[in-house]
Amino acid sequence: MRKLLIILSIIFTVIGVVFTILPMGNIALFPTSIAIVLSVFAVIFSKNNNKKLPKWILVLSTVTFLAVIGKDVFIKDQVAVDQQFIEKKEESKQDAQKELEGLDELQ
Amino acid sequence: MKRIFFALCMCVGFQFVQAQIKSGESLVFAASYEISGLMTNIAQVTLRTENISTSKNTFLHLILEAETFNKWDSFFKVRDLYESYVNPATLKPSMYKRDILEGNYTKTEKYIFSADGKTINSTSKKRNRAELKRTFNIGTSTLDVVTLIYKIRTVDFSKLKPGQSIAYTIVFDETEYPVTIRLMGTETVSAGNLGKKECYKLSIGAKTDRLKGTDKNLIWLSTDSKRIPCQVKFSIPVGVGQLNLSKASGI
Repeated sequence: MRKLLIILSIIFTVIGVVFTILPMGNIALFPTSIAIVLSVFAVIFSKNNNKKLPKWILVLSTVTFLAVIGKDVFIKDQVAVDQQFIEKKEESKQDAQKELEGLDELQ
Repeated sequence: MKRIFFALCMCVGFQFVQAQIKSGESLVFAASYEISGLMTNIAQVTLRTENISTSKNTFLHLILEAETFNKWDSFFKVRDLYESYVNPATLKPSMYKRDILEGNYTKTEKYIFSADGKTINSTSKKRNRAELKRTFNIGTSTLDVVTLIYKIRTVDFSKLKPGQSIAYTIVFDETEYPVTIRLMGTETVSAGNLGKKECYKLSIGAKTDRLKGTDKNLIWLSTDSKRIPCQVKFSIPVGVGQLNLSKASGI
């Protein structure tokens, strides 16, 4: 049981870390929350065993959880200033103006 | 993103023309998509208007831009530009342009509406393919999708009773689609910097497999004379999402 809890908490911690690095937003809270719960149980089951791994998993999953919250609070959703897109819009407008002048002449 | 855009466009029509669409208006939305049961912000959608003048006429330039937030750009970059050039008084379209970049997929499209509104001269080009030109017939009241978004804002929904609907036709991907907008009632929703707004809740129905479910594609338009789109919910075969108004200016 103890080993199973440790393996599962490692798996969910890794998923949590990956989701935190990727722009998955609050979805990363799911695996990290599960990892915290599993690692807490792993720590409890390992009390007599004196193993450090469950504690490290608990620390890592908690830090990941806080990182997700931090990202959500402090990093705002922004659109990059895309020079290429700005130029494309300007070109499109200029082309349209020529085209509309042509339509005027036809009417 | 194409499906999302189509769903947004489906969310919109016309009948009782009242309000006038102003030049210089800008509406910024945060687009979110449901991933693993949670709504995740993915892109910014901007609707804006400006005047454009030729030697003889002045057109209202309607613009819809969709850009993924920079955190998504390295995974799936979207830079979509949809434009329509319309008569400022009647919103009759003269030209529609579409230029999309979605990941590795690109497509450009241009429709020139004939003066009588019965045909469209279309020019389109997909990535790595030759440019295609064709002319096809349309109904005289058929609109492009960008114009439709603005046209619906000219409808006086106070004259409709809940359950009543409006029918019209749009052209998208060189195909005409019949669309209905049904008034469901009124609701108060959040409208970004405008605070909370009482809105008409409208259900969009279209005979297309691009939209899913009944009353799952919805738009909330403010009940005031501006009829600002405050929220949009859409359900498409690949998932559900929504657009929330975050900033409105020049209204």
